[in-house]
Amino acid sequence: MLSFGKTEDIILKDLKHLKYFEDLLQEANNDLIQQAQQEGKVCAAYTCENTPEPLLNLPGVFSARLRAPRTGSLEVSTYYLTSFLCEYTRALLERAVEGGFNFADCIFTPDGCSMMNRCVENMELLKTLGKGKEHFFYSYMEIPMKADDNGLNLYVVQCRNHILKPLAENYGIDISDDAIRAAVKEHNRVCELIRAIGEYRKDDNPRITGYEFQVFTLATYVAPKYLLIDKLEETLEELKTREPDAKFPYGARVLVAGSEMDDVDFIKLVEDSGAYVCADRYCCGSFPGRDPILLNEDEDPLTQICRQYMYRGQCPRYMDSTKMDARRDYVAALAKEFNADGIIYEQMKFCDPWAYEKMLGSHILREEFGYPVLAVDRPYAIGNSGQMRTRVQAFVESIGIKKIRKESDNG
Amino acid sequence: MAKEVGADRLGDLYIPGGKVRKRREWRGVSDTLYDYSRWLKIMMTLGKFVIKPRNVKAMFRYRWMANYLAVPMMVDRHTQGLRGEYLRICHEEQDLIIDDVAQLLENLFRGDRRIGNDTEFSKKVVLVDENEMTAVMMGFPTLKVLSRETPSTYVSVLLNQHAAEHYIDVAQEFGLAGDVCPMPEAEAGVSIDDDAPVLGACAIQCNTTCDGSLLGNGVISRRLEKEDGIPVFQLAAPLRHREDDVQDYAAQEIRNAIAFVEKHTGVPWDWKAYFECARRVNYATRCRQEWLEMNRTDYPQVFGSNLALYTETNYMAICGRIPAFEKADRNISRLARQAFEKKKMAAKEYRHRAIIWGVQSHYYMDFLVWLLNCWGIVPLTDMLSMVSTRELKEVDTPENREIAYYDMAWLTENMIMRNRTHGGYKVLLDELWEYVEMFNADMVILWEHMSCKALDGMHGLFEERARERGIPLVWVTHDLFDPRIVSRQGVRDQINSFMRTVMREEPLDPSLEVLEDEESW
Repeated sequence: MLSFGKTEDIILKDLKHLKYFEDLLQEANNDLIQQAQQEGKVCAAYTCENTPEPLLNLPGVFSARLRAPRTGSLEVSTYYLTSFLCEYTRALLERAVEGGFNFADCIFTPDGCSMMNRCVENMELLKTLGKGKEHFFYSYMEIPMKADDNGLNLYVVQCRNHILKPLAENYGIDISDDAIRAAVKEHNRVCELIRAIGEYRKDDNPRITGYEFQVFTLATYVAPKYLLIDKLEETLEELKTREPDAKFPYGARVLVAGSEMDDVDFIKLVEDSGAYVCADRYCCGSFPGRDPILLNEDEDPLTQICRQYMYRGQCPRYMDSTKMDARRDYVAALAKEFNADGIIYEQMKFCDPWAYEKMLGSHILREEFGYPVLAVDRPYAIGNSGQMRTRVQAFVESIGIKKIRKESDNG
Repeated sequence: MAKEVGADRLGDLYIPGGKVRKRREWRGVSDTLYDYSRWLKIMMTLGKFVIKPRNVKAMFRYRWMANYLAVPMMVDRHTQGLRGEYLRICHEEQDLIIDDVAQLLENLFRGDRRIGNDTEFSKKVVLVDENEMTAVMMGFPTLKVLSRETPSTYVSVLLNQHAAEHYIDVAQEFGLAGDVCPMPEAEAGVSIDDDAPVLGACAIQCNTTCDGSLLGNGVISRRLEKEDGIPVFQLAAPLRHREDDVQDYAAQEIRNAIAFVEKHTGVPWDWKAYFECARRVNYATRCRQEWLEMNRTDYPQVFGSNLALYTETNYMAICGRIPAFEKADRNISRLARQAFEKKKMAAKEYRHRAIIWGVQSHYYMDFLVWLLNCWGIVPLTDMLSMVSTRELKEVDTPENREIAYYDMAWLTENMIMRNRTHGGYKVLLDELWEYVEMFNADMVILWEHMSCKALDGMHGLFEERARERGIPLVWVTHDLFDPRIVSRQGVRDQINSFMRTVMREEPLDPSLEVLEDEESW
């Protein structure tokens, strides 16, 4: 008898800090942001994975990736941006208009995509941020579209002119090499913890769900990192002895790849539908966002950070052929490493870059790498979409049938 | 039937549900003979094209080639209602563009592995995007710079409004979301359908207009590199093109692109040819500025879709590389001055002076002619014609050679459309209102290309600025390449409703208000 994902069989004991982390994700202006600001730190908001995070986490400043949890009506932002812009950008603008991002002391946005750029420009023109903050500023920046030496030069210049310089001028932040190295050290500690926690997803019968992992990972983007380290360390310790379920309760292991996703409910929905999310390759996920940054002493840290961000970046805005091919190879390599049975390519509706990447990626991963692929587009907040649930369930079934066929073919 | 401007009911020429119109327009003896002679010239160009067996073969191989039967009709759509100098300016522009496209097709099929298969010729071909400044090719006079997307999708939709639908469907059937811009979508569809000529020593793609265009190139380059064995260079032009701190990057990209072409063609860069092209670009810029100056007065002369289409071709695709365009610039300027001195008008009445902003509907490029004839709205200038006016260095000196890389980079960054849709809100939002003042306009017609995210993202702020200034702003929604989403009549209805209900006006030519042209080319 086949068993395709009986989620009622999941009896993992709750992780001690899961609820704490889940609560953090309920508000953009979460408790830890408030705590860090009370400690006198500057909150640097940002909107795109191509912004090097350590530069926003120099001594005296911390980063917070903007998101709009529990988003509701998008009426005002839809007026300004029309219904054709992705819901992430509309949700951010709506929240900004509501005053939900007034905690930010500055905002950085690269021209990662047109929609993000327009979203933040609207925030600026509508004067939605920085109320009562004398030194508040918006900073836009160019980022490379190809990974090469010329792109690296651009990246360094842009980070210096549009991140470091305004932070120093407006808030007196120390932007020395030593300060950058210290920020990288803290960044790497968080990355190492997330990586170590994520490693448990490789087990045949994992002791952590994809949803739980996503909750911990996402928190490291939206809350001050230094305030999370102790709880992440405790969670890692707890996992060492956590008992997995007696039997793997899912029908398939899947890798989720795609566009910006700060919606943990999507992962929950996928897992509730019978597919264990064993690896994550999307903005706000751990690959490659939680790769530690390796610094040597021979070169300035800014250049090294930019180089690693540029070469490891999986954003489809990178347009050179080498990078394009590498994106699909990266997904295939992750799928192999984490023993994925299939791949879900997700794209936020109206996202141009991922519309194309999803189309090509899903064909290539299926035809050249032999993975079953499900390609879906989704809203910003998935909620409890029956349509999506049905699609994932059907995907899990198809993977199960393929497995049975394969086993019978092998005698 | 009249010689006088605006005396005819132009809508009566349409056959409901037909592809073509009832008959040619009577414009008086002199203008009709002139128009007819140009029509004959176009037919001769087509005739010369089809007598070559390889071109006939191409007609059967490539689905989009059938659209070229509609070339005379396209010119007729753009000359509607025009007389005298206006008619001649239009033909000067359109006929040259037709010659240029015919030459492009000839060259494509000559080198195409499936058609002419002239391998020696193919080795001298560098493929470029449709939406790409060819500045980087200004110093390669012996190479052929060919765009496959221009004839397969861009021109095809100008000729036949339904031309891209098949390719849009192909891309969507392959898994592309339906909400992306239909232009790169159709171009990707051509590639997926394997319906583009295969030739060339190498190709240069560019992150031209938008995210969709950038990503659509990935579909095309995959086939070029992996199946056709044609190496591709992706030229990255900075998006924040007004910033000083991106120009070094942009210039280095140009150097790298030139080195790539030299490597794959074995042809060295020719500075003499480059500076000659730069001189022609400067001449074209001065001419365009002169036309725009006239358009600021009560007697605009070079405006509407002709200005837009000609600027797109001359500024972007030609970049000074073809001397015939310099001659055309001179002739257009002469005709414009002549008409200006006589205070001539292109319609019997000018009721409104409008700035046309946003990205025009490709399947209804002659909409601006309709706007003038039906409602007396003069399209003084349009967003795509408001391109760089910076003078390039045109004297060959060691210093100027270095500056030339920056000049080419500047042109590439300031390609039509992208110079407005990227680079921050100032170039799209703020400068519109500067032009409104500069041209003394009393109305803004804002094309809302519904899947253009960069434009959509300023929707609300456009409206707010218009309200603050008390300038009537009319949205005209369309889907660029796909008339199934908003038909031509759907486009017209948006103006008709606004003019009747908000402006409380009656049309100059009521016969044009509703036209049954859904099936028309």
